[in-house]
Amino acid sequence: MSSRRVTRIQLALVLLLLLVLQFYLRPRLGNARVSPDFLLIGLMLFAMRSGAGAGALAGFLVGLIEDTLTPARFGAAALAHTVVGYLAAWGRAVFFADNMLVNAAFVAVGLWVRDVIVLLASDTDHRQLLTELTFYSPIQALTTAAFALVVLMTFRAVFSVRLDA
Amino acid sequence: MTFATDRRYTRRDTVLLFLCLALSLVGLFSPAAWSNGVAATLRGTVLSPLVWLQARAEEGRTSRVRFRAVTAERDSAAYLAQFLPSLRAENERLRQLLRLSHRLTTSYVAAEVLHQPQATDSRTLLLGVGSRQGVAPFNPVVAPEGLIGVILSVSRTSSIAMSWAHPEFRVSAFTIGGNAFGVVAPSIEGRNNEGALEFRGVPYRDSVPLGTLVLSSGLGGVFPKGIPVGTVIGTVREEAGWERVYRLRPAANPGSAAHVLVLIGSRGGDLAAAFPSDSLLEAIRLDSIARARRVDSVAQAVKAATQAARAARAARRDSLARTSPILGGTPTQQPAVQPRDSSRTSPILGGTPTEQPAVQPGDSSR
Repeated sequence: MSSRRVTRIQLALVLLLLLVLQFYLRPRLGNARVSPDFLLIGLMLFAMRSGAGAGALAGFLVGLIEDTLTPARFGAAALAHTVVGYLAAWGRAVFFADNMLVNAAFVAVGLWVRDVIVLLASDTDHRQLLTELTFYSPIQALTTAAFALVVLMTFRAVFSVRLDA
Repeated sequence: MTFATDRRYTRRDTVLLFLCLALSLVGLFSPAAWSNGVAATLRGTVLSPLVWLQARAEEGRTSRVRFRAVTAERDSAAYLAQFLPSLRAENERLRQLLRLSHRLTTSYVAAEVLHQPQATDSRTLLLGVGSRQGVAPFNPVVAPEGLIGVILSVSRTSSIAMSWAHPEFRVSAFTIGGNAFGVVAPSIEGRNNEGALEFRGVPYRDSVPLGTLVLSSGLGGVFPKGIPVGTVIGTVREEAGWERVYRLRPAANPGSAAHVLVLIGSRGGDLAAAFPSDSLLEAIRLDSIARARRVDSVAQAVKAATQAARAARAARRDSLARTSPILGGTPTQQPAVQPRDSSRTSPILGGTPTEQPAVQPGDSSR
C-alpha cells in the first residue's frame, strides 16, 4: 500500500472523527450557536487539500446533511457550503496558505461566509441578521478556528501542514 | 480527488460547482412538501446513523441535567431532613409553652434562654429579658414541663437565672398526694448523679412510692404552689431512722430549655392546674399517679401482712407466757390481729398513713 493511499485513508478517518464529534459531542457542549462547527472544519481542511470541484461537491454534501438534520430552510446550507468549499479550494491556490494560522483563519472566514449565505438565503430579518453576523458568528468562528488549530497540530502528518511559519 | 500539490483547475471542477449550485438552488426553491420528503428520506436512510448519534448525545445531555436536578433535590431534602426533628421538637416546645402561658393565672414574661458554651451552662441561665420587662430577682422560672429555677440577678435587658442544678438551689416541695413535705435540692452525690435532684427532709414515717410527682409547696414565698419539680425514682439514703432522702428525676431540663416563662406576678396562687393539661405531660402524670397508687396499695398489703404475722407471733408468745405454769401465766383464747384493708392505710386513697416502715422503692414487690 502506497504512502499516498495511507494518507488518504487517514484523512478519511479524521473526517469521520469530525463527523462523529459534530453529532455526538457538539450537542453536549452547551450553546450550539458558539460551539465549534466540526463539519465545517472537516470541509475546509478537505477542500484546501483538494480540487475546487471536489471542494464544491464536499460542500454540497455537508450542506445537504445540515439541511436534512437542522430545521433551517432546505437548500440554504447546501448552497452556502458549496460556495465555501469551492472558495476554500480556490483560496488555497491563490494564497498558498500552508501555514497553520492561515489555515485556521481560512476556517474562521469560511464559517462567517457560510453564515452570511445561510442567513440571507433563509430570509432572516435584519435585526437577527445583524446580531448573528456581528456577535454569534464571530464567536463561533473563533472557537471553530481554535479547534481547527488543535486538529491541524494533532494530525499535521495527515494534513501535511508546514510548521515553518 | 486532486491534492493541492498537483492541483489544476479543469472543466470538471466548474461543472461540479455549477451542478452543486444548481441542486442547492433547486432544493432552496422547491416546494416545501418536496424538500421535506427528501429530507425525511435522507434522515431515514443514509443519515440515520447520524440521527442516532445525535439522539444519544441529546439523551446523554438531558440525562446529565436530570441527574443534576435529582441530585440537587435529594441534597436539599437531606439538608432539610437534618433539621426537621429539631424543628418539630422546638415547635412542640413552643406550643407547650404557649398552652402553659394561657393556663397561668399569674403574670409572666416569655424569655429566650441564651445558652453559653460552658460546662456549667445549665447551672445558671442567661435570659433575654430584664428589668425593662418587669423581671426582678427571685422571680420563678418555669418551662412547660415544670420548674427551671429562679432569677438571681437582673440587668435592664437581661437576667441570670439560677437553675435547679445550681448547688445553692432549694425549693420547698410536697408530693402530689400531699402526704410528704420536704425540701428539694440538687444531688450532692458526685458526678454520677449530676442532673438529679434530692427530696430531703421527708419524715421516716412518710413513705413516698416510686413515680410520685413532687410539686413546689409554695412555702417560703419564692415559688408558687403546684409547679412540678420532679418525679421520685429512688431512695438516696435514710438518716438514722428519722428522715428519708429520695432521688428525683427533674421535671424540666435547663440544659435543653430554649424558651421559658418568668413568673413576675403574685406567688400566692396554686399553679397545679396550669401544668398537667398538656396531653403528654398529663399522660406522664396520670401514669405517675396510677403507679403511685398501685405501688402504695401493694406496699400497704405487704405491710399489713407483715404486721399480721408479727402480731400473730406476739400473740403466740403472749399466750405461751400466760399459759406457761413456769411463767405464772393463764391460757387465753384471744384471736390474732387481722390484716388491715390496704385502702384504709393508703394516704393517696384517703386512708391514714401507718407508722410502720414502708416497702422501699425498688423492692421486688413492685
